Amino acid sequence: MPRTLIFAAVALGLVAVPMARADDVNDATEKAMKQAAKSVAPFVVKIETSGGRETVGGGGGGGPGGPPAIRKGVGPTSGLVVDKDGYIITSTFNFANKPSDIFVTVPGKDRKVAKVVATDTSRMLTLLKADYTDLPVPPAFPKQNITVGQWSLAMGRSLDPEVTVVPGYSRGVISAVGRIWGKAVQTDAKVSPVNYGGPLAAIDGRVIGVLVPASPQGEGETAGVEWYDSGIGFAIPFEDVLKVVPRLKGGKDVGRGMLGFNPKEPGEEYNVPVTIGSIASDSAALKIGLKVGDVIVRIDGKPVPHYSALRHTLGPKYEGDAIDLVVTRDGKEMKFDKVVLGSANTAFAQPFFGILPMRDDPELGVEIRYVYPNSPAQVAGLKVGDRVMKIAPVGVPQLVAITGGRAQLAQVVRGLPVGMDLQVLVKRKKEKPDDKDKEETVKLKVGALNEELPEKLPMPSTAGKALEKPKATPAPGGPPKPPAGRNKPADEEKADEPKKDGDEKEKDDTPTGLLTDQVNKTNAREYWMYVPDNYDRNKSYGVIVWLHAAGKGGRDAKDMKKIWEDYCDSANFILIGPKSKKNEWTSTEAEEVVTTINAALKPYTIDRNRIVVHGMGIGGQMALYLSYHARDLVRGAAVSGAALPGPAKDNLPNQPLAFFLIAGDKDPLLKEIQDTVEKVKAKKFPAIYRQLKDFGKEYIDQKTLDELCVWLDSLDRI
Amino acid sequence: MLRRFCLFALLLAPAVAPAADPFVAVTEQTNRKVVKVFGAGGFRGATNYSTGTLISADGHFLTVASQTLDTSELIVHLYDGRRMKAVVLVTEPELDVALCQVKVDGKKPGEPTGLKLRDYFDIEVEAKKPHAEPGDWVLAFSNLFEIAMRDEPVSVMQGTVMSYSKLHGRRGIFDFPYTGDVYVVDAITNGPGAGGGPLTNRKGDLLGLIGREIKNSLSETWINYAIPTDATVTLRDGEKTETVSLPEFVRLGMQGKYKPRIRPVAASGPGGYTGIKFVPNVLDRTPPYIDEIMPGSPAEKGGLLVNDLVSFIDGEPIYSIKSYHEYMKRTRADMTVRLEVRRGDNLQSVELKLGEWPKGMLKPTVTLPPEKK
Repeated sequence: MPRTLIFAAVALGLVAVPMARADDVNDATEKAMKQAAKSVAPFVVKIETSGGRETVGGGGGGGPGGPPAIRKGVGPTSGLVVDKDGYIITSTFNFANKPSDIFVTVPGKDRKVAKVVATDTSRMLTLLKADYTDLPVPPAFPKQNITVGQWSLAMGRSLDPEVTVVPGYSRGVISAVGRIWGKAVQTDAKVSPVNYGGPLAAIDGRVIGVLVPASPQGEGETAGVEWYDSGIGFAIPFEDVLKVVPRLKGGKDVGRGMLGFNPKEPGEEYNVPVTIGSIASDSAALKIGLKVGDVIVRIDGKPVPHYSALRHTLGPKYEGDAIDLVVTRDGKEMKFDKVVLGSANTAFAQPFFGILPMRDDPELGVEIRYVYPNSPAQVAGLKVGDRVMKIAPVGVPQLVAITGGRAQLAQVVRGLPVGMDLQVLVKRKKEKPDDKDKEETVKLKVGALNEELPEKLPMPSTAGKALEKPKATPAPGGPPKPPAGRNKPADEEKADEPKKDGDEKEKDDTPTGLLTDQVNKTNAREYWMYVPDNYDRNKSYGVIVWLHAAGKGGRDAKDMKKIWEDYCDSANFILIGPKSKKNEWTSTEAEEVVTTINAALKPYTIDRNRIVVHGMGIGGQMALYLSYHARDLVRGAAVSGAALPGPAKDNLPNQPLAFFLIAGDKDPLLKEIQDTVEKVKAKKFPAIYRQLKDFGKEYIDQKTLDELCVWLDSLDRI
Repeated sequence: MLRRFCLFALLLAPAVAPAADPFVAVTEQTNRKVVKVFGAGGFRGATNYSTGTLISADGHFLTVASQTLDTSELIVHLYDGRRMKAVVLVTEPELDVALCQVKVDGKKPGEPTGLKLRDYFDIEVEAKKPHAEPGDWVLAFSNLFEIAMRDEPVSVMQGTVMSYSKLHGRRGIFDFPYTGDVYVVDAITNGPGAGGGPLTNRKGDLLGLIGREIKNSLSETWINYAIPTDATVTLRDGEKTETVSLPEFVRLGMQGKYKPRIRPVAASGPGGYTGIKFVPNVLDRTPPYIDEIMPGSPAEKGGLLVNDLVSFIDGEPIYSIKSYHEYMKRTRADMTVRLEVRRGDNLQSVELKLGEWPKGMLKPTVTLPPEKK
């Protein structure tokens, strides 16, 4: 071995002496790159569009919660020939502004009208077809040989309108492979709207990939555009592109492949194994019989120790792809071979029983306050005043007793797949006080939560015993042991019982009325709040978090109180108005706002099912942001004149979220707000939309306000 | 095994050999030809510094014609750290260039400064060198972000020429005045203060002057560009038009003979008449679908049809009704234009001889950007 080294050193020395002039090294590289670009040039297509919007993304008008709206350039963009019969692949970003017409020019050929064939919504590629024949297809650089450090040229046709020239390129190296959940390679060449859709070429003239904007966090056609020209650019490996082209040719969009479950611990990316927390109806997971509590162990032979690994393994898969899956259930390994993945569109419909429960009721079971028309509960013959005592899926001999009140019932129902048949033991309402208890078991098919709004809700809504411990089951032989993790009474609704040092301090801890000029001690954020004067700590209170409009911070407290106080007093709500530190809200304030709200609410009895963010304009934008980024807190967003900046997040059964969206038909954001409604409905969030005639940016009308009140009072529906 | 290793070493050798860095000499040499410019600004987002490229032994330098120069207290730091006053001799907005000179106390304007600088670019010589082409490696020298002061050399960035083509720039709502070809590079030079620095090739030849911070209106991205050393601008002086190159501007400017022209006001008429009426223009970018064709008009004679989509005029893409009118403003009666229209799934090419607008016909109103002050 040492001898080898000596020889190597000698060899080094020998060649170092007659070394060519240093400059020539760069000459050769520069020349090789030009040659590579020249050989790829004939495959790089110029794309032009007509019509479409000026700006894309940003939910219109910027605001918190996403990148601001970006102007979409009008210049040409790039594509790449992928099939001799006129099929051209490009970045979906190039059509983010929804142009009405698309024209393409293949070098050396005439300009043609092109049509969108289909879009790969996982990798954000769009396949175009134009009337060409016998086009050459570029050679792919083998994906497995793509190496960090190798030269890469990001090519595009935006800068020079001449399609006969070699497209301009930015020079860089491959920075990483397997990025964006295994879908993209990364380069430090400058990637931007100037070359999205164009090729990332290797120095040997083969195509490494197709340039796209991408972000590991975001989804949608503009995700990752904020990183343009930053030295962090992405390309989809060309081999993968060529693989998906035949599917796209079928004319149907192709999306991410999903098993269709949510993990038990959604925030844990790395620390815990992936345990199934809930299963979407109509999902691959449901079809093969996965169960809540199953732990994912391996996919395609690769270990999946945590959620991040799962995302890396499943990230590159499409709907319809098959995987080999191993899970453990009750300590035993179970194998599922050739599991066909579902689409991302099997959104979680929130399972629905169809009742509103009586609140703050320590008695056994759950009293029904209201039965939704045409709901599973109504079909099953449940009535107001009945008590739901026990439930179980049909066929299970032992029914589970509801000992933890409405919180437990809600939690159990959330874990059930839509369409499941249940047996429900109800104690019927006594017609007369001295009637005998009448219990019967009814069948109930779990439904999907819809956005129907009751006209009027019966009062009272609360039994007024929030601080009493729930009664234990008087069954002989001790209380039944509920299955672990399902219905621990520890989760019952008094989790938010006011924290107090002693009874004598109680008065001071729970001031009522309009409390202005409040300041959070840890982060100095100002807020105001209104607590009903008839506050009763034996009732649980919902919370309306008002996010003020631009420049109104704190000065709108009295106005808001005037509008809302009667409702707060009767329906048991607390109104709180945090102030932004600047004129407008920014997403960076979210954390402090949540801390402030939590601290301010601590002394009060809070109903965690009815915490709602509410705002209009920029405040509404902030409300939407909080609804997605403070999901353990927020259960509803009532928003006027604001739109979601990006795609809607997934519906999570354990963190239900409902939307009440309002737009004036004169609001310039109308289109974006309508898009928002579509987006959240596509993810099966319950959403109510009201479009107000002749309204621009004003606060809502009386009719909508009345509806909003009913909605707020019904958020603890089960 | 041994043989393989030797072969490997052989391949590796040029890369690991010391003193092989070919940029070192060029950067050292070029850095001496750059000055740091400090002037007005520093508020409302305007930077009060830029970069200058020396072009004479007598302390003449070029920089961008920015608001940084709007001061009587212009200061430059030379490569050797000398802090000196400077004056703007003349600017040419359409080249976006200002000719300035280092001022030596006690010397009258026009008098030799006696600086006798050794390192500068001879712009006449540099302008005659061949253009760089896309793919060429380049070096950009500038005081981006005001990192260098006094004798600290400015920052060097390396990159690649991405194109040599027309600039479609937009600063805020204003269109960029310079309409000639520029070098677009992939080095990120669009930060504050870079404007006016030299862009050179690997051998140290001056390719152009780094431009200012503007967005490319075609891609809506910040663009990294340089105005080439041999840039020209066509100026109208009354009825005469005259083409002036950057070296000529410098030569005349140094002699005190360069006169800034009065800019002709852009023609604001609707241009030539086609007889096309479009669908109502209700969107930001309403696609220019033909809704009606006036009887006897050039459009009718050319065989255009209702529902045709006007897609290109003389090869330039027309992506909205607004862009159609903007293009047509540049035309006049009796000119012939070639329209490409989308009809069904095909593109049809039609030549139209434009006419005069019939009297009494409502002309299109195109919102023009506010006049630049």
